[in-house]
Formats: sequence, C-alpha cells, structure tokens
Amino acid sequence: MVLIEYPELEILITRIREISGFDFSGYARPSLLRRAGRYLTTHKMDHGQLLVHIEQGGSVVYDLIQELTVNYSEMFRDADFFRKVRTEVFTYLESYPTLRFWVAGCASGEEAYSMAIFLKEAGFLGRSLIYATDLSNKALTAAREGVFTLGNARTFSENYMAAGGEQSLSDYYRVAYNKAIIVPELRRNIVFSMHDLTGDGVFNEFQFISCRNVMIYFTLELRRKVFGLLYDSLSMLGFLCLGKRETLRYSGLEDHFKIIDSTLNIYQKIR
Amino acid sequence: MKTTGDNAALSLVLVGGSSGSFAIFEEMLKLIRNPLSFALIFVLHRGKSSTSVLPQLFKNKTNVYMSEPYHLDPIEANSIYFAYPDYHLLIGPDRRFYYDMSEKELFSRPSIDATFASAAMSGIPVKAAMLFSGSSADGAFGMKTLAQRGFPTYVQNPAEAESPRMPEEALAAYPGHQVIVDGNLFSIINNILQ
Repeated sequence: MVLIEYPELEILITRIREISGFDFSGYARPSLLRRAGRYLTTHKMDHGQLLVHIEQGGSVVYDLIQELTVNYSEMFRDADFFRKVRTEVFTYLESYPTLRFWVAGCASGEEAYSMAIFLKEAGFLGRSLIYATDLSNKALTAAREGVFTLGNARTFSENYMAAGGEQSLSDYYRVAYNKAIIVPELRRNIVFSMHDLTGDGVFNEFQFISCRNVMIYFTLELRRKVFGLLYDSLSMLGFLCLGKRETLRYSGLEDHFKIIDSTLNIYQKIR
Repeated sequence: MKTTGDNAALSLVLVGGSSGSFAIFEEMLKLIRNPLSFALIFVLHRGKSSTSVLPQLFKNKTNVYMSEPYHLDPIEANSIYFAYPDYHLLIGPDRRFYYDMSEKELFSRPSIDATFASAAMSGIPVKAAMLFSGSSADGAFGMKTLAQRGFPTYVQNPAEAESPRMPEEALAAYPGHQVIVDGNLFSIINNILQ
C-alpha cells in the first residue's frame, strides 16, 4: 500500500482543479486520502509520479477524478431499509396521483432499479417518475444499460428476498452473455441524468429523495449546503432517506424534519 | 450524548481482530474503568448482515460510554467505539469519525488497515494499537504504518491465537511489534489501558 500525506493531498487537489476545473476542496479529506492512496497502489506510483502523470494532459486527470469519486452500491442494499420504505413510506404515498422520486448519487443505478421494482409491486410505478442522478457520466452510462454480473445478481436476489420482495428478482432481468440485464419495462419510468449535488441546483420537486452514503464524501460545510438543496427539492411532507451511519446532525436542518425511523434514517419534511 | 471540551487532549487506543478475538475483546472490556483518558476504538470483522449491536452486547461489561459512531461524530476521550459492519471507519484529523464505502480491503469491510492507517495519518496521538486473532492479513499494513510513525504496537502471540494468521502477517510485515505472550495477556492489556 502506498500512503499519501494530507499536505500532499492538498497539492493534488489544487493541481486537479487547475488542470481540469474539477474541485475536490469540498470533499471529506479522510476518505479522499484513502482513495488517493488506493489509486497510487493500483497504479504503482507515488505522489510525485502522480503529479507528473496528470501534467501530461489527456484523459489521465479525468480517469483519476473518476476513480476518486466512484461509488459502489447494490440492489436493495440494506434490506431493512427497503422493507420499511415499502411498508411505511409507500402507505403514505399511496394517496398521491403522481409521484416523483429522486435517487441522488445513483452510481450504476442499483437503487433506482430497486425502487422501480418495489413501486411496480406496490402498483404505482405507472404514476411514478424516478430521477436518478450522478456526477459521473461513466456511472450513468452503466446505469442506463442496467447490466450486472451474475455474481452481483445473486447478492441482489438475496437482498431482494430479505427486503420482502414478492417475486423472484430474476423476473426483472434476463440473462445473456453471462450477465443480468434489467428488463426495459423497469427503465421506462426512470430518468438517468447528470447532476452535481455540489454545484447544480434544484431541478424539480419530489415526494421522496434517497441520498444514501453520498454525503459521507463531503466536508461538513459542503454537506450542509447539499442538505439545503435536498430540503429545497422536497415537497412538504416529502421523505428524505440517508445512509445507515449518517444523521441529520450537523446539517442545520434538524428542526425541519420529523424522524420516521432513526435507525434506518428516514425523515419527513414538516416545516 | 456525552460531550467534552473541544480542546481536551485526545489520544487513541486501537484494537483490531477477527475470528477468535471476540472473547478477548469481551474480557478486555471488563478491565476498563471509568474514566478512560483516551478513546478506545475496536475494529472487529463482522458480516454485513450482523444485526447484533456491539454496545448492547457488551453493555454489562463496563460502565464507560460505548457506541457505534455515526458519520462526523466527534471522537472523545472516555469513550469506547465499535466499527459498524459494511463500512470503513476512518479517523479524521479534525477528530471526527468518517465513514467510507469504497472497496473492501482484503475482503473486509470494515478494514482494520483502513482505520489504523487513517489514525496514523490523523495527527492524533495513538497511545497503543493492538492486533489479535484472525484469519486474514488485514491489520498488518495499518500496524506497520503506526509502528513506523513511532506509536507503540502490540500483537498477540500467533502460537496462542485461535486463528494465528492475522498476528503472523503483522509480524511478517513488521517484526518490531511487541508480542503479547499469553499468560500475561490481560495484565499487559491492563497496563496499556492504564
């Protein structure tokens, strides 16, 4: 493993900004430090060599940005969370004639497809629109394709069953070339599009926003700003979902939400 | 929530282990008396679906405050923390916990290496780091990083560990760790914890 020191990381952040315009200054340093170290380890170079490497121009710096920002997810990750959404949140949303969901920081689309499956099983996929956004075009391309390895599909199936899925997950994908490909029917109500939570603004109003394990990569200050954006994008009584180890604490918006589930981090906008 | 002054001195004691370490951790907690002058951080490999909450499980062992911290929670002395399953737990230079969901490290999340290395880089003094029984090589890199930065590191004697691989790998990566010989395992731990 190659390590990088905090002062070196700051130099790297500055050079990336100068070369590409991409600004990591609002990103949480401890995880960025870890990811930068992993990049150096996989590419067998040290910090000095990396600086020389990105000066060469071309796609190098963009590949680096990609690797430093990429997120990983699973379908029905945190089965207990999806179970709760289905049993409690959906009951509430049932009465709406049209529904808009936002999966903010959707990575390769796993969570958006999971939502679509549960909405279909609950009978309101037809009147729902799921906006799934990410910073990375590469991730969005993968998300639109909806192709997963069969190994992953097995994990996803277990999660789906644990979350209370009514059928078999394999009803929602077909297998070709040793891959699992999501059926087009599920994609019809999902809009995948590019959105940078740290720079772009409100683009719609939602009854449900899931932004799980995304803000953990932002500094306290940037996180507060993104919380503001999510709050502004929620309709009154809309739901906000965070990752399991995230909280509303330190957001400045603690008083604006009612806790629906403190363990699973589901909140409802009340003022 | 307990709070202490922001400027209070903070040091860390780090404990890592995997299979065969649980019973040691349990015994260790019994030795701990309130108040603790440092923050005690445990990283134990657990399955992602493990629903057992360690602070609940251990609650009768000690009267020191225990938690599985949340992202951005401040790290405070006189507290015991447990890494949460399926996330890496990182120590920030601003004395807060940070969660990270990047790839597993040596098939593990939480990774002992991730927590220990982040502590070594954080600038927060590490009073001691200890590594116990386990069947993977996780921890070796973190322990080496800590030792190379001058922090005291202790490894369970592989011959006496239920799963010797973890302490073995740590010693192979860096032979300078102090080996805790059984028999006086808990008296050594007790001295470290004083």
